Amino acid sequence: MSVGFVPGSGPLHRAHPFTPLAIAASTAVLAFALPVPFGPMILAGVLLLLVLVERAPVLKPALLTALPFWFFLYVIHGVFGKHPVIALGLSARVFAIVLGFLLALATVHPGRLVDALAERGVPFSFSFLLTATLQAVPRLRARATEILAAQRCRGLRVRGSIWRRAAAVIPLAVPLVLSAVAEVDERAIALEARGMGGVTNRTPLHPPPDSAVQRLIRWGLAAGTVTAIAVRFV
Amino acid sequence: MIKITPRLLALIPLAVGINLALGQFAAATSLPVFLDTVGTILVAALLGLWPALLTGLVSQLAFTVISGNATWLAFLPIQLAVAACAALAAGRGWFRSVPTVIGTGLAMGLIAASLSWPISYLLFGGVTAGGVTVVTTLLNGAGVPLKWAVLAASLSNDLLDKTATFFIVRVVLVSLPARAIGRFPAAGRALGRA
Repeated sequence: MSVGFVPGSGPLHRAHPFTPLAIAASTAVLAFALPVPFGPMILAGVLLLLVLVERAPVLKPALLTALPFWFFLYVIHGVFGKHPVIALGLSARVFAIVLGFLLALATVHPGRLVDALAERGVPFSFSFLLTATLQAVPRLRARATEILAAQRCRGLRVRGSIWRRAAAVIPLAVPLVLSAVAEVDERAIALEARGMGGVTNRTPLHPPPDSAVQRLIRWGLAAGTVTAIAVRFV
Repeated sequence: MIKITPRLLALIPLAVGINLALGQFAAATSLPVFLDTVGTILVAALLGLWPALLTGLVSQLAFTVISGNATWLAFLPIQLAVAACAALAAGRGWFRSVPTVIGTGLAMGLIAASLSWPISYLLFGGVTAGGVTVVTTLLNGAGVPLKWAVLAASLSNDLLDKTATFFIVRVVLVSLPARAIGRFPAAGRALGRA
């Protein structure tokens, strides 16, 4: 299952990157602030509608992510606890949060988000940090696989009893971490040479266009979320 | 506060990669631990509090973006608590011997469990992704009230996980060449050498 940006031409793809993110953030808060079971169910319904309008292919990954939650929620609250309505409400809560986040992930292009953040004065190093991390993760995973293969050639066993599997952690972790530490200086010099040590903010060449309507929507979402929290908890 | 230096920009992505690679190994081999904070604790030992907090934050964000499961973000306080406690432990030189590492790991496990079980129980009805939920379900099915089942599952996993993680970081710190210790003076302090 792959999650991430998917090209498209729907209203959320054309929107300023902060708008889908505001929808995802307010969904994550409203899913807890609105009363179970109907609040999260209505929220999930609204998001499903948005997904259909946007034609974003996020329904399948959202279902695959939510299914294990639904199963255990049904067993714990529906079967053991005999409260299937609570299981339904909590399932809708998880589904709404996952769907809102995947929708934002599918509609916000990382490059446009970096430009939008730079336009608002966020230092480039913070945007770079997340991008560099997302690039480093598959590299470190591949390196871990290589180290493990090399250690297995030397007789390391990663299957069998729990002690045998646990004993394989150190021969993997130590070379992995030491190779990463050895790489730090080389990467730091390369970054310094590319001006990453600078303190001035960058100016984006093509900042994503924003509009009064979108600003109004974002402020409306923030106000609605704060009101829902106040009504529920105060 | 924190100044984002090129060295930090180089180290944090690698530390997060370590978190995710070891976390994936633990899950793939069905070990009853997460091992997803090794990189965060390592940064705490090498560079101190603020870089460790930033590593914890970026790690949880990256894990959420890669898995597509936004419920992970609710557990961000645990990553931050681990970072803060690891920085404290490193500053006091508690990586100096195996007994101090085990004691620190157990204390960290207690803190992590006391933070994770209310999040899991109150926000998600005791259900989160991962093997902890299987333990919760088994205990609940055996008649243990849900609240205590979630607490017991969180405690058993976190005590084991944080002790193992602190132990791994100590082994790594001890294995660091003298040149690396020279570049990260905090590592020497964490090992009680300064």
